[in-house]
Amino acid sequence: MPTAWLTRCLHPLLLAASLLLSACATQLAPAYEPAVVSGLERNSIATLTLLASLAGGTQAADFSQREAAYAQRIGELDALALQAGARPEPSGPLQAKLKDWLQAKGMSEPDARLPSVHALQRVSATLAKLRDTDRKQGLSAVEVQAFRGQVLIYLDQALSYEYFLAR
Amino acid sequence: MQIDLSQLIADMKAAASQALGNDVSVLRGFSERQLQAIAQQADFVASGILSGQISAETRDFFLDSLEDMTLNFVRTLRGLLMVTIEKVWNAMVGVIWQAISKVTQLVLPLPSLG
Repeated sequence: MPTAWLTRCLHPLLLAASLLLSACATQLAPAYEPAVVSGLERNSIATLTLLASLAGGTQAADFSQREAAYAQRIGELDALALQAGARPEPSGPLQAKLKDWLQAKGMSEPDARLPSVHALQRVSATLAKLRDTDRKQGLSAVEVQAFRGQVLIYLDQALSYEYFLAR
Repeated sequence: MQIDLSQLIADMKAAASQALGNDVSVLRGFSERQLQAIAQQADFVASGILSGQISAETRDFFLDSLEDMTLNFVRTLRGLLMVTIEKVWNAMVGVIWQAISKVTQLVLPLPSLG
């Protein structure tokens, strides 16, 4: 019978459609944003390149040669943090329940920022401190290495989180 | 027609395992990488302060940052876990609803977390 045949064909299609539609709304974390990830990758390379150029330490006397590079890196990182933080966070009954449960367990979140946004802001703050110290007194090679280690840890946090959102 | 309970349990287990997929190894890899990097950074900063190569100008900044990066590591790990929970939820609810739809011959919309 044509009607029965049509029903048999439509049944899995309707089921698949309902699955897809529901899947769109079922989120506990923000959406993956390719522009944020590519911006993060570009900024990671540029930031680590800047740090590599300082590896031997610096003298405050020639700070002006590096000032523009610092400004560009800090500006781009701040813009990227803003872009990453502008995504809407999923909200709904289950998210509210999870929040209540975490609060009841004493694990309430004092910082509403996404971990990647916080990490990016800290990379920017690290470069600002690097710049200010460079301008004031220059940097020892050990200090540059410590700044680099700190930046690497925060970049790993930001990249790991953003990559993981691709699901 | 009834739901085959043992089959449903097996399907739910399979869906959860598949959804977990690489996530467990990603989470483990991230944690190990971060813990090692933070420990090395702490050691490096301590050595630099002792040797005087990390100046008074930057010392407090590095120490405060160690605390902050450790906290953000935990927050990142929690964020990753939320994504994994979401994947497992979606997979398991999908299996349950498919089983009910099959038995009842009804097209049921999946319950949404949102």
